[in-house]
Amino acid sequence: MSKFSVDKMGENLLRKFAGHTSRRSLLSKLGMTLVAAPVFPLLPVSRAEAAKPDRSPEAKTAFARNAQTKDDTKCSYWRYCAIDGSLCSCCGGAVNACPAGSEPSPVSWVGTCINPDDGKAYLIAYRDCCGKPSCGQCGCDNTDRETQLYVPMQNNNVIWCFGTSSMEYHCSTAVLVGAAE
Amino acid sequence: MRVPPRLFSGSLLRMALLASVVSMAGGAVSAVAQEAAKVLEAEEATTLKIEPPQAQWGYIRGGFGSGGTRIFDGVTGKMKGLVETSKSSDMAIDPAGKFYYVSESIWTKGDRGTRQDMVSVYDTTDMKLLAEITMPGRLIIGGRKQNFIISDDGKTGFVYNFDPASSVNVIDLVKRKFVTDIDLPGCASLMPNPGVGFSALCSDGSIATVAVNGSKSSVTRSASFFAASVDPIFDNYTYDQSKAEAVMVSYTGLVYQVKVSATPTVSAPWSLQVAAGLRPGDTKPLDVNWFPGGTQPMALNRKTGLLYVLMHIGEFWSQKQAGTEVWEIDVAAKKVLGRHPLEKPAVNIEVTQSAEPLLFLSEDEGGNARVIDAKTWESKHEIKRAGGGIINTFFPR
Repeated sequence: MSKFSVDKMGENLLRKFAGHTSRRSLLSKLGMTLVAAPVFPLLPVSRAEAAKPDRSPEAKTAFARNAQTKDDTKCSYWRYCAIDGSLCSCCGGAVNACPAGSEPSPVSWVGTCINPDDGKAYLIAYRDCCGKPSCGQCGCDNTDRETQLYVPMQNNNVIWCFGTSSMEYHCSTAVLVGAAE
Repeated sequence: MRVPPRLFSGSLLRMALLASVVSMAGGAVSAVAQEAAKVLEAEEATTLKIEPPQAQWGYIRGGFGSGGTRIFDGVTGKMKGLVETSKSSDMAIDPAGKFYYVSESIWTKGDRGTRQDMVSVYDTTDMKLLAEITMPGRLIIGGRKQNFIISDDGKTGFVYNFDPASSVNVIDLVKRKFVTDIDLPGCASLMPNPGVGFSALCSDGSIATVAVNGSKSSVTRSASFFAASVDPIFDNYTYDQSKAEAVMVSYTGLVYQVKVSATPTVSAPWSLQVAAGLRPGDTKPLDVNWFPGGTQPMALNRKTGLLYVLMHIGEFWSQKQAGTEVWEIDVAAKKVLGRHPLEKPAVNIEVTQSAEPLLFLSEDEGGNARVIDAKTWESKHEIKRAGGGIINTFFPR
């Protein structure tokens, strides 16, 4: 697995976004947002890269101390440290795939979660699946490093169904983007 | 042939009796009909009106994915009516009490088709739709008080937009027209700025102030005063129109007072926990303490200057956890006057600005609400299926 690169992530996200929408003005506005507000969404990554992280139990959040890697239909699954919504893995989808008939959002909010098996931090993209009514199964609301709307890519209340044909929220996936350290 | 007298007489008797019964029955039916006509009159279906916004009312939104804002009278606990707020919309009340404004997004084919964003204007007494002010977009989220705000004079609306770049729609509420869309990268959570325009919290820890003059605008930023990703300030802060002051609380429990002007000033933050005689909240794991939490974790009484905050025991990053206590805080004195345990944990709190202040709380489960007397702390009403969402009260001017 390659080391996480902010630039690459931004490029990939924008490429995918451009491929899914004709709203070009949005791209320029998003680009401007990223340029003008460099503090997001890079902060958790920047902090993670700034120093060798302490992975002792004393340094872990309550979620990280209790996280597991076996069952991705449980809220305690390690990738779900900042997820809010129905787990797609309980809705006919998977941890990284939307259920049939729903559409993944090309953009997402992000979390930095620790895998308890290797003790490493990974960047997780929480991609909403859109276009169907709310799945309603396995509702989770985890809040590690979750902030408010002025840091939107770290806020888990926003319905991230931008650039999709419908903005109806169905469920949330947790796609592993890369190592954050 | 002679008819046997008995038969004749019997037949006559039967006929007479029958006639008599029919006559009596007819009379009885007539009497019943008359009585019925007197009591059960035919009705016309009508529609009632409702009083304009009252200080003792609480406006309780439905939870995520549900529409409607139920209005409850905090004194009686009775439902008064419902504002037609669609799913994930935002509601604001005209300061003069004449209109309910709903910032909303609807589609031509239910959940698909052409998206339409608008501010819908409702009369507050007959609750009829008066106008739809079309605008280019808005953030679909719900549960935020600061995404749709109205200037203190009631003439201008500001709608936060995120698509996914940040901007703010300016709405002329007098002409009922969209004016302009102002780019505001990295900022959200709006507050009115009287005579200037509006201000907002930003990801670099500053306050952006946007001077609005018709379709023209200019943006200035304060110095950074909080760490937006380390100890964020809750979006659902309070704004006091009478003092043009915002009171905000961070995840660790720091209180910030922002004097709103062309160049806003921020007081030195102080700790809720220290004000209660405890150690300050910390971001470190395993440091169990009392923390503020919920969706709408705080409310401010403008007259008394008392702040009410939902608090729970936990570790840092538990910012959405329901409160098990309400802390009553004298903001001017920076002192916690009382800690009031709740019967059931709550996620949203608001206080009426009436002479006898009442607290409205949305409880964590069941969509139930509770009304508490803010002076005696007596539970006045438990309202089942009230909605469970965020709460507005009206601030008479």
